Amino acid sequence: MARNGTVIKTEGLNKSFGSIQAVRNLDLEVSTGSRFGLLGPNGSGKTTTVRILSGLLKHTSGQATVCGYDVSSNRNDIKAITGLLPESPGLYSKLSAVEFLEFIGALNGKNGESLNRRIDSLLGMLGLEGRQDDLLESYSSGMKQKVLVASTLLHEPKLVFFDEPTSRLDPAASALVKDLILALAEETDTSFFICTHQTSFAEDVCDVIGILNEGELVVHGSPADIIDSMKVSDLEEAYLKIVGGQVDRDALLAWR
Amino acid sequence: MTHRWLAIAKAEFLVLSVSMRSHRKVYVGFLTSLAFIWAVIGAPILIGSIINMIIPMEVLRPLLHIFFPGLMRTVALFLWIMLLLLPLSYALQEIKIGQWEIFLSNNVSTRDIMAGTFLGKIPLYGLIVIFLAPLLIAPLVLAFEVNIIGQVLIYGVITLMSLGTIWLSNFITSIIQARLGDSSRGNDIAKALSMVIAIIVIVPMYGLIFFLPTMSEMMGMDAFLILPSTWFADSMSWFAIAFNGVGLTGAQVIGFGGILQLDMFTSIALMGGFVLATIVLALGSADRVFTIDAGARTEIVTTVGTENIFLRGVRRLSPGPFGSLMVTNFKDFMRKAQNLSKIFYGIVLATIMPIIMMSRDIDFVQISELFIIIIMMMALIGAMPFAGAGFLESKNQLWIIQGVPDGASNFVKSRLVTQAIIGIPLILIPSTVLLFLIEMTLFELLMLLGFGYMAILGGMFIATGVTAGNPNYEDTKSPAHQVNLVTSILLAEFSIIGVLLGDMILAIAFNIDLFGLIESIAGPGNIMFAMAFMGIVVQWCLGGLLVWTGIRKLSSPDN
Repeated sequence: MARNGTVIKTEGLNKSFGSIQAVRNLDLEVSTGSRFGLLGPNGSGKTTTVRILSGLLKHTSGQATVCGYDVSSNRNDIKAITGLLPESPGLYSKLSAVEFLEFIGALNGKNGESLNRRIDSLLGMLGLEGRQDDLLESYSSGMKQKVLVASTLLHEPKLVFFDEPTSRLDPAASALVKDLILALAEETDTSFFICTHQTSFAEDVCDVIGILNEGELVVHGSPADIIDSMKVSDLEEAYLKIVGGQVDRDALLAWR
Repeated sequence: MTHRWLAIAKAEFLVLSVSMRSHRKVYVGFLTSLAFIWAVIGAPILIGSIINMIIPMEVLRPLLHIFFPGLMRTVALFLWIMLLLLPLSYALQEIKIGQWEIFLSNNVSTRDIMAGTFLGKIPLYGLIVIFLAPLLIAPLVLAFEVNIIGQVLIYGVITLMSLGTIWLSNFITSIIQARLGDSSRGNDIAKALSMVIAIIVIVPMYGLIFFLPTMSEMMGMDAFLILPSTWFADSMSWFAIAFNGVGLTGAQVIGFGGILQLDMFTSIALMGGFVLATIVLALGSADRVFTIDAGARTEIVTTVGTENIFLRGVRRLSPGPFGSLMVTNFKDFMRKAQNLSKIFYGIVLATIMPIIMMSRDIDFVQISELFIIIIMMMALIGAMPFAGAGFLESKNQLWIIQGVPDGASNFVKSRLVTQAIIGIPLILIPSTVLLFLIEMTLFELLMLLGFGYMAILGGMFIATGVTAGNPNYEDTKSPAHQVNLVTSILLAEFSIIGVLLGDMILAIAFNIDLFGLIESIAGPGNIMFAMAFMGIVVQWCLGGLLVWTGIRKLSSPDN
């Protein structure tokens, strides 16, 4: 539980894999009820950060607390009140959506009618009610992603980690997830920690943005503040200005 | 312009030789040189020395002259089955439509894919053949003192047999893969088939070891003539006879003709015709009868129905979240064809072993004589279906399970209970078969059921513990899978047989008669039961330890 209005706090957090420094001296504070977006290029350390904060990965040095619990010593407490949507779907191919969600519910110590009702409402909300009894092996990647979103929200977590939540979704489904996040944040005080490449999604959904580059947090603030400070018109331009990646058209066609 | 099949062959070769990628050229050159030195110099000297050590060649030669044609057919049959089914089984473990889609987007025909994958496989399987073939050929060459032309022709037949069989195997694989496709369901069916194919290899292996005399009697030599492997074997035998250096007389050659039944030219024609036919058939049917394309194939939508009476019973017995986990585990395990084929494989093994043992001139078999071996087979049945695959599908699935408090621990515990229930039919089926085969008392039957089930559980504990400690997900080609499978089976087997070894060591090293001590406690007629019980106790302790460490490892965050 957030005891001091801060849901996530890290101080000098580091993570290295051999000689590769994935996260570098990360100092971060995320307020309760906020929708924090972590942006960054591929390999910048976003997923590593999420895995450390959700108790799945040990950090190398520094400190981090999630909902007031230390990530080194209170992993089970953190897992009980958080939900994680991993980067890639890890579903059981031979279970239906309902059966998979029942499995996740059972792992969280829930079963019976109340769980079934929640599964039905989540699947209905995500537009999967017609396919809920089909085996997951026949689902498209977008549908699988929706099932994973449902599994993340199943036990009503206080803090939700979303790692690339809309990367496999079509625009309509992305808009649905966007609205879902905004509604949950407003009405249930749920906090969100969202890793994404999609700057427009982050700009629409997140109230605070952090940009990670080569494991280091280089910018932190509201989308509007970041856009203003970089003197650009939108978050994508600001992002490109910060991490690089502006395209040189001459160089792009140099191979011809 | 580079030929498409050549590009595919290169890629296939790079994949097969990935383990030596750091110095690929050096390793390949070294292995090839070693293989040729072995074939030309090493193997003839080694085999010759071994034969001379056992029995002088002058004495052995007349015997070899009599036995060799028949023995050659049996060995060729074994090699042919191995070459046909092992690449097929290996290829089916991983459907490659993902790669095929890249081929197809570059307008590559099925014929190119087939030819490319075949050529890519040749270096690896060719090397295996070069290492193994001299073992087969050296005695023949020594017995008939075959000259250099004859040796070249014999090696030519071996090469033709290997290439022809791998080509046929590749052709069958392509048809199956084209039908199954890269769906989750297709992969599952392919893996199940690869296990069933393994049974087809294992059964003739047992047959060759135990049934050879009976087989010859039952089939006679004529039965072999319809097998393609016989045509290759007979061609080799004819070349050895035709280019012999021992001065066979005309009457002796006619005598060989009587044994082999088909003359040299007929054997060569059948052999060549068979290879040619497979090439024409494969190339002719590719892109016509079957086509590798990016269609949906087995992507059938399966909708689950209401739960059956058994699953409802489980829910009633365990109404909490743990019961729900068990029900999910049952559904996940029993819906996968590959898991069912592994169970089938284990039952076949456990059932045929006593049958084979009984077929060996034993007039009256008592269960007490076979008990510990049967218990070992039960341990194998318990370990095999649950070792390696069928536990977690992917690392991402593990992230989801680990994301829940005590998720990994609850997951493994519920798996163990589920698997224990799956183990019940695994003991009942072989025991019922054995009841009809072996005369046993009610007491012996109860011992078999009780101890057999305990051994299945012990094997299952070991397999689950080993796999939890080193999950290989669904990758049945990975080294981790092989390690899990072999470790689980060896530990499950040796923890039981280890008691017998321990008794021997104690007797030799410390002069302690453990056997006698157990006999004095359990009674003279029950020594095997008592030994089996001790083995099971060791197995359970080991299994418990492995499960405990497996859960800890699976639960702990990554470093």
